[in-house]
Parts: sequence; C-alpha cells; structure tokens
Amino acid sequence: MSTMQTDPYFIDFPARIQAIQAEMAAQGIDVYLGSRLRTLSWTVDAFCPWRSYVVIPPDGLPTAFTFVIDAARVGHDSWLGEDHVLGYAPMGGQDQITVVSDLISRYLKGGKGVVGIESGMATYLPEGNLTHHEYERFQEAVPSARLVNAHDIVDRLSLVKDEGTINRFRKASCIVDIGHQAVLDAIKDGGYRGMTETEIAGLAAYAMRKAGSEWEWSFTGGNEIASGYRTSFTGGACTPATRRELQPGEPLMVDLHAMFMLGLGDHAHNYLLGPATPRQRWHAKNFVDLVSLCLNTYKPGVSPSSLADEMMLFAEDRGFAEYMVPGFEHGIGLMGDEWRIGLNDGPFPYWTNPDHVYQPSEMLICAMQYACPEEAIGFRYENPILITADGCEPLSRFRLAIEEI
Amino acid sequence: MNSFRYLSPEWTAEAFRRLKEELTPDKMKNVTSSMVTFYENCPDGKNRALYYKFIDGVVADVSIQEGEPPDAEFRISGDYDTFARISRAELGSRAALMTGKLRLHGNMVKALSLSAVVDRMNKVLATIPTEY
Repeated sequence: MSTMQTDPYFIDFPARIQAIQAEMAAQGIDVYLGSRLRTLSWTVDAFCPWRSYVVIPPDGLPTAFTFVIDAARVGHDSWLGEDHVLGYAPMGGQDQITVVSDLISRYLKGGKGVVGIESGMATYLPEGNLTHHEYERFQEAVPSARLVNAHDIVDRLSLVKDEGTINRFRKASCIVDIGHQAVLDAIKDGGYRGMTETEIAGLAAYAMRKAGSEWEWSFTGGNEIASGYRTSFTGGACTPATRRELQPGEPLMVDLHAMFMLGLGDHAHNYLLGPATPRQRWHAKNFVDLVSLCLNTYKPGVSPSSLADEMMLFAEDRGFAEYMVPGFEHGIGLMGDEWRIGLNDGPFPYWTNPDHVYQPSEMLICAMQYACPEEAIGFRYENPILITADGCEPLSRFRLAIEEI
Repeated sequence: MNSFRYLSPEWTAEAFRRLKEELTPDKMKNVTSSMVTFYENCPDGKNRALYYKFIDGVVADVSIQEGEPPDAEFRISGDYDTFARISRAELGSRAALMTGKLRLHGNMVKALSLSAVVDRMNKVLATIPTEY
C-alpha cells in the first residue's frame, strides 16, 4: 500500500474506482462484481491468492471479500482497510454467495437493477472469471437483478499504465536483474558443474528475495530453468525447473520472475555451457540479432501481426524461420493480468487481437522462443517493455547476449 | 509467359513441377507428411481439395480433386478467395490463420514446427503466373 503521492509507486486507487463508476453509470450498471485476479489487484492493491470478489457500488468505496483466514492480512495490505475487506466462511450467513449478494442487494433498489460481472475464458488458469455455479447462485440470490458481462470496463481502463504502476514494474525488473547476476556469478568458471535446474531456480529466488521480491509469481513454475534438450521443446515457452543436472556443451535457459507491489518482473537470459560449437554459436547469433531487431521495432502503431510478419521475414532471410515460434509478445499487468494483450476484440474471443495497435504507455512482455529440437538447443527471451512515444523501454537491463560459460 | 487458371489440372501440374524443382529436402526439413488445402466456394460453386504428399523432404505428389477432401495429416480449410489473396501476396497465411479466415486441422505442435516449410511452399506457388 502506498498512499503518498510523492512515492514513486503511488497509484491513485480512489481515482481508479471513480473511473470504473463513471463507466458503470454510462453503461447503466448499478453494481460491479469483480472476481478476476487482475481486477482484484487493480482495484484492491493487495495479493489475493484465495477466491476473492470486489463489489463496486455506484459511488463510494468498494468492498472486497476473501476467505476469512486471509481477510485480515488483505485488509492490512490494501488501501481499503479492514472495514472494506471482509471475510467469508462456510457457516450460516457467512458463505461467499450470501455475504457478497447481501451487499449487492443494498445497492439495488427493490432488488432490481443491473449487476456487472466478469465472465469469459482464459489460457491463464488463475484468471478468475465467475464460474457457472457462482453465476447461478448469485442470480438466485438477486432474482430481480440482471447480470451482464462487464469486464471490458476494467480491461479498457487498465490498458494504459500510470506512472506508479510503471515504476513498480521497473523495480521488479531491477530485482530480476539482481537474480540474473546471482546466477551468472554462481555458474561461471565451471561453477555450474553438479548444479541442477531447481538449484539455479532457488539461488536466483534467494537473491531476488534478498532484494525485496515478494515471490516468483509465475504460475508456470516460478523461476523457469531449462537445460540441454529441455530448452528445445517445440513452442516450448513453459519450462518449470527439474532435477536435471547441468552438463557441459549444452544450452541453459534462465527465466526469472520477481514481484514488487504486484508489479511483475519477467526476464529470460540464455547461456551456452562451454565448450560451445560453431553451430551453437550460429543459433545464438540468430537469436540475439532477432531480439535486438524486435526491441528496435516495437513502437506505437505496431501490431502483433505486423511485428510477427517482419520478424519472420528476417528469420526466413537468415535461414532460421523453422526454429521460431511466430509470436513475439504476451500481455502483462499487475498480478493476475497475464497473457492476453489489449481488449477482448480479436477474431478469437479472449485471445490477443493480432491487429491490436500499440499506443504509448502500454506494457507487454516482449517474448520470443527459438527451438531446434533436432539439435537439442533453444533460447527464450522475455522482458517487460513499455511502449514510449517513439519506441520502447526494455525494463530489465541485464545485457542482451547468449553467454558462453 | 503462359498463365494458368488457379487450381486447374494445368496449374496443379505446374505447382508440382516448381515445388519439386525448387524445394530441396533440406528446405523441406526432410519431412514425411501429407497436407490438404481445401478450397470452399470456388468460382464455379464447387469445393476443391489440393493434396500434397512429402516423403523424406521430397514433394512426391500434388493433385487436385473436387468434392470432399482426402485424408491427410494436416488439412487447411478456407474460402477460395482467402487462398487466392494469399497466393497474390495480399494476405499472409499466418494472419489468415490468426484471424480465423483459415482453419487448421491436425497436430498443432507438429504444424508449428513445419510452418516455415509451408511458408516456403507458398512462396514458390506465388511465382506461378495465375488467373483467378
């Protein structure tokens, strides 16, 4: 929680709520029932790992609900305070449907009105859309109200990032860079011998925690470490660390995640554990050149599809297109907002619109995956980037290279 | 230079000749597979299937037939006009898939590793002088 406007991590949460309420009024929505993790983070400013809800009235403060065992902690961490973070529990009058619908009913005149809910689907498992069961039970609890899907309100308002959010991401990326330095220090000069992927994940986590990271937030297994053939799964952008021991002559992929005040760091750095072959160096140069081109290409006006076409043309000209996944981004926002970029306005519902046009102050993860399974080599690049007026700012500053150790 | 009516037997024979001549097994990743591109709503109202067979990276067959598509490891379906736009380089095949204008049936993970091969084939096919 940061309430000082001079604090670089300050976010004007009351203004966010008022912006939501203005949109609710414009759309004829009397109460907004948020359930997605991204909505909880964006409105409550606290990590909500248990099923949680936020009820936003037409005016005034919202109220969040979470599992009673965690409600006091969330109330402490949130700008809302304990009076507006309540617990639910499996007992008479205290189950989540009852306590949430009781509050919703207070904002419906005669029980009638429109309740905005969050429904949809996601590739991201912890997205938190209202379940079918919850929908039916809430409808039973407020039978005269109309439940309408309204997540577009939060999606639209959270698309362009404010300074406090951006600074939280900058700090999280600084922490990730500390983690990468710790890994480099540990594995160089043969230090990697005898180490396992899980050990790399752990020593990075320790360094990042010492630097203030709250956790290795990624649902994909925390810090993702892959070595040898595990770097080269086709499309393989998910590699939870295993007990595999690092071996000389193999690639090593180190994808670290840190969290700072719900801002997310996510940067992947790659190594060749010596001795490297000329062919491995050829792959490495391809990848570094492509990442460099990609970072130089991101700017306002670019879309995921236009960028992919340009990158794949470069890869084809250089003879490595078959090793590339033809996608170069994923979405990012405060904790819980991962994967989809922009609004739900693409040809496939709840996927990134390939023709989404980037604008200044949007953030995304510049992400790409190179995989050559037949040679057991692959690389990953991820870095949160901020779209600026005429380009992009990569938030992680760890050097762009595939280093031979 | 003669031009060929799109998807005619003559165009298909020319496609087979050019693909076989210009795509080495190395460029084809030595793949053994089969693929059908299924053209819906051709100008004469019919549906047509263009069948490709690859053995160890060699283009072994390219043939056209009307009606229902034959079995193949991969099938890409879409409107005739969409395929025509791709052949004229007015639309990228990747963009067509990403926007749902084309539909892929088959193992997506394997298809991902072969997408560059299909791009190379499309580039060769785009060089055929064609009347749509």
